[in-house]
Amino acid sequence: MKKLATTTVSVTARRDLRNDYYSLTFGPYPRVTKCRPGQFVHIRLPETDILFRRAMSIASVDTDRREIEIIFKVVGRGTTVLSRYRKGDQVDLLGPLGNTFSLPKKSERALLLGGGVGYPPLLYMATHMVRSGFDPKSIEFFYGGRSDRDILDRTRIKKLGVNFHPVTEDGSFGQKGLITHAVESFIQGQKKDRMRIFACGPEPMLKAVDDLGLREGINGELSLEAPMPCGIGVCLGCVVPLKQGGHARVCADGPVFAIGEVIL
Amino acid sequence: MTPDLKVTLAGVEFSNPIMTASGCCGYGEELADVFPLEKLGALVTKSITREPRLGHPPPRTAETPAGMLNAIGLANVGVKRFLAEKIPWLETQKTKIIVNVAGSSLDEYVEICAMLADCERADMIELNISCPNVSEGGIQFGTNPAMTEKVIAEVKKVFSRPLVAKLTPNVTDIVEMAKAAEQGGADVLSLINSMVGTSIDIETWQTRLTNNKGGLTGPAIKPIALALVDAVHSNCRLPIIGIGGIATAADVIEFLLVGASAVQVGTALFVEPDAPVKILNDLTSYLKRKQLARVTDLVGQVRKY
Ligand SMILES: Cc1cc2nc3c(=O)[nH]c(=O)nc-3n(C[C@H](O)[C@H](O)[C@H](O)COP(=O)(O)OP(=O)(O)OC[C@H]3O[C@@H](n4cnc5c(N)ncnc54)[C@H](O)[C@@H]3O)c2cc1C
Ligand SMILES: Cc1cc2nc3c(=O)[nH]c(=O)nc-3n(C[C@H](O)[C@H](O)[C@H](O)COP(=O)(O)O)c2cc1C
Ligand code: FES
Repeated sequence: MKKLATTTVSVTARRDLRNDYYSLTFGPYPRVTKCRPGQFVHIRLPETDILFRRAMSIASVDTDRREIEIIFKVVGRGTTVLSRYRKGDQVDLLGPLGNTFSLPKKSERALLLGGGVGYPPLLYMATHMVRSGFDPKSIEFFYGGRSDRDILDRTRIKKLGVNFHPVTEDGSFGQKGLITHAVESFIQGQKKDRMRIFACGPEPMLKAVDDLGLREGINGELSLEAPMPCGIGVCLGCVVPLKQGGHARVCADGPVFAIGEVIL
Repeated sequence: MTPDLKVTLAGVEFSNPIMTASGCCGYGEELADVFPLEKLGALVTKSITREPRLGHPPPRTAETPAGMLNAIGLANVGVKRFLAEKIPWLETQKTKIIVNVAGSSLDEYVEICAMLADCERADMIELNISCPNVSEGGIQFGTNPAMTEKVIAEVKKVFSRPLVAKLTPNVTDIVEMAKAAEQGGADVLSLINSMVGTSIDIETWQTRLTNNKGGLTGPAIKPIALALVDAVHSNCRLPIIGIGGIATAADVIEFLLVGASAVQVGTALFVEPDAPVKILNDLTSYLKRKQLARVTDLVGQVRKY
């Protein structure tokens, strides 16, 4: 199998979630066995005048049925088109692209932090960890949103058996406040060298998580977003500045970076 | 019978007329994961400058109707690292390599080209005298006929293999620039580089690029590029590499008909990284259907009213 390829797949399932969020499942996808948590697919929207592909994190995989799932929020033209796809419609996927979250040690406590549209890769991470034999009770799943309507897939997360910590800014579901505040109070008095953070979400959240990790001495990884014309590292459009100097391509050198690595 | 796709430019034979455009294929490594580079007539590298360049801070691309704006700002590894780190890998690839060179002064162009002269694997140099995205140099050379002629003549003194002059559309009369390049001793012309443009977010009133403007590329510029290739072909004897919005074999055929001998695919690679392979297959089918023995039979054959 070529390292990179485009594949035409069909929509095999579609779920209308709350608050303009949708889930689409695509198959058959022969490259499903290559997918890992943190990676994304670049989706071409055929029969439209939209030029670029749209990047979507892989939210789950089903290797038996050779399917992958994405979960997204409608924010513009491309995601509006995506939200109209029905079962049987075809799309073209380039991927899986990017690097992956690294698995923690089994002795470590994993703090998974998903903020808003940053939730899907952490769902995949949690599922992957549980399937790989991690004790679900060693996984703290923080999921932040503005309000009740932003917290998706609650039964699904609970079914994984992980410790679920929903957080909403208005307090309409779970703890009230920002996800980073919830994490901060959680780690009080705990052994920080035995923890690892995995986070994806809006940039202000990632910046706060980066600060928190550095301040508290907790290692971990952040998954970034950037507009991505190519997704494969050739256009140099998606770069992020590095603390050590220079730029990294979010698509090909990331999207996952270590805490303390990039300038947010 | 399989049609003959070979083209010869300035004495250099290419297996087919399809090349990848500078800045749209890096130094080749990533595309090699998508298809074997030997499928390409040639790979044109990202512009190389004397010193490494970071380019502009992000955001440096924006999507537009049928195209994109970029102000990457010539981010590249610099000529020393290019020779030390990129050329050894490129040497293993069975395609022609055209090294694109950009500079901010006459000296810089000459110095880089002199360094590339010893590098056998640089089959040709393409001089980027047309980058709209750096304040100093680049486009200054490409918008002034005397400077165009001068920089090409000076580079020819240090680099003996064929030289391609890459022209900008951001001029009143591109034919004048083409003639100046020919006068200076260019062996081949490539056109067009991107067209200056910008885009503004009406909610924040902020430009979408930190450089405030950028270069427009993609399908949006194809009709302009075609007209400019036609104009240059009608007024200048040098072979032409056509560039601008090429995504399909049909696009390639249009460029060949107005007089391009070869083409480069740029922005389309971002959408379909294996576009060159598809283009080659479709081009072959077209030639068969039209019962043409050679791709060169198309060059300059446009029928005009
Ligand atoms: C690696 C990666 C993974 C992602 N995973 C998800 C996911 O799982 N779920 C989800 O809902 N969204 C995800 N996104 C964001 C998603 O790609 C954007 O929301 C989407 O591209 C917006 O397209 P649009 O046409 O609807 O919006 P528009 O605003 O109309 O898009 C216009 C242009 O801006 C670009 N753009 C705008 N905002 C973003 C952004 N935040 N990130 C990247 N490009 C942007 C688009 O690609 C396009 O070129 C991810 C982005 C990246 C880079
Ligand atoms: C992201 C990007 C980077 C580019 N970088 C360069 C460059 O470094 N040097 C150069 O000569 N042209 C550069 N170009 C211009 C292309 O080589 C080409 O001339 C232009 O994109 C038009 O072709 P297209 O419409 O097929 O993209 C760049 C174009 C893009 C989109
Ligand atoms: S999107 Fe093109 S280099 Fe990352």
